[in-house]
Amino acid sequence: MNYDSQLRLQAYLDGELPEGEAREVANWLARDQEAVVLHAELRNTRKAMAGFETGITLPESREFFWSKIEREISRQEQPQREPQSVPFFARLQRFLKPASAVAGLILVGLIANQQFGLLSGTGGAENKSALDDPGAFTYHDFAAGTTLVWLTYPAQNEFADSDPTDTLQ
Amino acid sequence: MRLKLILAPLLVWFLAAGALVAPAGVVSEGSVLKLEVQLIWGTNDPQSPDPKHKPVESAVKKKLNDLPLKWTNYFEVNRKAFEVPLHGTTKVPLSEKCALEVTNPGDSMVEVSLVGKGKGVGKRTQKLPKGETLVLGGNAPNATAWLVVLKRIE
Repeated sequence: MNYDSQLRLQAYLDGELPEGEAREVANWLARDQEAVVLHAELRNTRKAMAGFETGITLPESREFFWSKIEREISRQEQPQREPQSVPFFARLQRFLKPASAVAGLILVGLIANQQFGLLSGTGGAENKSALDDPGAFTYHDFAAGTTLVWLTYPAQNEFADSDPTDTLQ
Repeated sequence: MRLKLILAPLLVWFLAAGALVAPAGVVSEGSVLKLEVQLIWGTNDPQSPDPKHKPVESAVKKKLNDLPLKWTNYFEVNRKAFEVPLHGTTKVPLSEKCALEVTNPGDSMVEVSLVGKGKGVGKRTQKLPKGETLVLGGNAPNATAWLVVLKRIE
């Protein structure tokens, strides 16, 4: 018996042959004892195998399961990056960018300080009066750049005698 | 493109360095203070009883009118220009009884002491940049006022 005949017999057993071909195989089985033996052996084998075919169910869909495997394979197949040598200019630029931002802020602060006297302008803490006159007051006209310090001393009896301009002369 | 990216931060650095160095230059440049002081009498009278007094210049009058002072007329009694060397003191007599002492500690600062009848009346320390004015004043008899106007020329 050749290999094709064995396959036909297996197909007959599985019910996969068309009606005419199945009839031919049945006639062949009636004539050939060797075919009957093989048919019986195949049937017994199928019976034995049928009890052990337990279905395996996946916790996720088939597509998702295979996509995980596919992703894992493609991840492992990615070539490892070789360490690249960074050019000097790129390193310099990497340092200069944040440093320039800081320098820019300092520049703006210095210009603002010079323009508006935020830290040491005429209205800053460097201005002070040391007066023996607790009633004195100070007024700043920032627009005109003028500071007025008004003293209650000298009082009228100190500098002024009788002449209205005596205080001055 | 790369050159621009490198030059731009360097430019910022140079500007920052320049801004740091510039104030030092200003300080050394302004080591000698050139000042002008005026002794002024403020009154509501249209004329001063002293014919030697002359009305103040319009710029000075405007400056005084911008201050919270109640007088309408101001007459110049005396005016002097003087210099104060760095870390030096210059005494300027304004009248027989009144004098001004100005010390230059540097960095555009001034220490101004007002002396009346030989006694220290008051002392004021502040920055006085070029063009700015410090006015010391007080009440005088008959609802008038005396004013010492100190202006930095250089």
